[in-house]
Amino acid sequence: MSDSTGARAVMWAYLTTGVAIFGLMALIGLALRVEQAQWVAYDPGTFYALMTLHGSGMVVALALSAMGGLWFIMNRERGMDRTIAWSAYAAIVVGVLCVILSIFPGRFAAAWTFLYPLPFTGATWPSWATGAFLFGVALVMLGWTVYCVQLLGCVLAKYGGLRGAVGWDLVFHPGRASTSSAPEPPPQAFAALVTAVDGLFAATGGMLVGVALIVHWIDPSVAIDPLWAKNLTYQFGHTFANLTIYMAIAFVYVALPRYANRKWHTSPVLAIAWWGTLLFVATAYFHHLYMDFVQPRGFQYLGQVASYLAAFPPAVVTIFGGALLIYRSKMRWTMGSMFLYAGLVGWLIGGIGALIDATVPINFSLHNTLWVPAHFHTYLLEGVTLFVLGWIFANLEARSGLVSSLLTRWIVGLGIFGGGALLLLGWYVAGAESVPRRYAVQPVPGPAIAAWASIGAMLLIAGLVFCLAEAVRLARAPKALTAS
Amino acid sequence: MHQTTVLAGFLVAAAAVLIVMAAIARTTTQPEEPQSIVTATGYRLRRGWLWVLAAAAAAAFALSLPEFPYGKPATLTGQHYSVIATQYSFELPSVVPADTPIVFDVTSKDVNHGFGIYDPQDRLIAQVQAMPQYINHLPLRLYAKGHYVVRCLEYCGIAHAAMLGSFDVR
Repeated sequence: MSDSTGARAVMWAYLTTGVAIFGLMALIGLALRVEQAQWVAYDPGTFYALMTLHGSGMVVALALSAMGGLWFIMNRERGMDRTIAWSAYAAIVVGVLCVILSIFPGRFAAAWTFLYPLPFTGATWPSWATGAFLFGVALVMLGWTVYCVQLLGCVLAKYGGLRGAVGWDLVFHPGRASTSSAPEPPPQAFAALVTAVDGLFAATGGMLVGVALIVHWIDPSVAIDPLWAKNLTYQFGHTFANLTIYMAIAFVYVALPRYANRKWHTSPVLAIAWWGTLLFVATAYFHHLYMDFVQPRGFQYLGQVASYLAAFPPAVVTIFGGALLIYRSKMRWTMGSMFLYAGLVGWLIGGIGALIDATVPINFSLHNTLWVPAHFHTYLLEGVTLFVLGWIFANLEARSGLVSSLLTRWIVGLGIFGGGALLLLGWYVAGAESVPRRYAVQPVPGPAIAAWASIGAMLLIAGLVFCLAEAVRLARAPKALTAS
Repeated sequence: MHQTTVLAGFLVAAAAVLIVMAAIARTTTQPEEPQSIVTATGYRLRRGWLWVLAAAAAAAFALSLPEFPYGKPATLTGQHYSVIATQYSFELPSVVPADTPIVFDVTSKDVNHGFGIYDPQDRLIAQVQAMPQYINHLPLRLYAKGHYVVRCLEYCGIAHAAMLGSFDVR
């Protein structure tokens, strides 16, 4: 197998596995929403077990998809050992299987947050299910750690160590940067560096709390501080989920310029923006603990400041840069470019919803209402997912030399954007109506809102299925003569 | 801030984003402009955009600071009421005084719970987490008299949605 073919095999393994898990989790999400709409009825134990699987599975699905694409992009910059990439993939897949086992047949239902001591106290599931879930999460973190170490090694080796990779000379010594033997990092290299560094930071927190919980599972007399565990759970969970966006933005950096027939340059401003992302993605998680008044007060202020500042690099540099890239360009609008550009819009709108919730006095009356799934579904579903779809179609279009018809794009757009908007609006409106999140049976007006949100979810899934069929059509088409 | 105002503000901002980004996408039907010219103008705009955002963020932070709900030691001197959460109920006072500074001392006997207070119009007006081994002090002044419902706002197990409490404000 040639290097290029082998690298593509790695990317498609990550991508197709991620998309397959995504599809399964989307159907589970629909099952949760129609239960809240009271269209079907099943017991709360099943609802919360499915909710646990949906939450943990969806983040891993998006992470796997983004990891595959980013690995392929960086592998072209500097070849990486495919065995290591396959090892990381295997650890994550086995971890996912452990988590699935904990739910079917284990019925583990402590949510993806598994806030200590919920996995052990008042549990309606067997102890082995708790162990299977915790080992599953630990394996996912192990695979993620291996991936991040490899990515970090690639970036540091290619761009002249940390100084070169962060663009230090580019910002402070432009003359020295231009004469350096190491190449200037392209925009996607900054995404890889931040993913690797913040990813390892998240993995450390995840491993710490994961191992602590496994020790407690083996020996319940080992006590854990609940506030410490909560901090680490969100430090790893928030950062890991957030990094899916920053991995997938590499797809925009690489593919959108091809469609616009322009270049996305590295600049000092871009480098500084990514320094900000590096810092603020790692510190914004404190906003998850605003309602823990015993948390040191400084962390509460830091949470709001970091959450606000985390919005600057995307708003001022990446999303603004994407808009500038296509402005008055000779843009080729295809399925791929439509998804990549629409993903920037979804990221921005979801970010506004997140910033509102990250303001402490507003969080006081929105925390753990449906406003929370509203904003994170906006940037995961209409942001990261679209970046992934955009990357898949960019590759398929380049390989086949084909593009989808306008009618196909309209049908997919109506399903994914129209259905998605209906689904998301349901959460925003219900959040403003104080409907709590994670309720199998919601107070009014929750069920009525869930009913029209479910229609949105069905339209969205129909759009995704149509999209999948179109992807299969392009994938089965003969390779274009001009394809690389 | 009232949640309906927050929702309205969000929807206006989201609509503005959609309109601007759609307008930018539509410019691709116009004659092409060299990237260097677009970039030069764009970078000037970006500087202005940065300052607008920075001013908005600074103003939002400054305006929010006095509204942080944590309370200073002086505001924790009102009448204290103990709240103990447990799977799946609340031990809490049946009556609290209206228009008087009070403090809820909230903890949990087992897992993490949320102590979410809904006013007589069924709107969430305040909350704090109930965490085992810790006591969270929630200073509050409830002006409207009536029946208040308490809902658990942290997932705590399979009967989470049924975990309710209530008290009257007189």
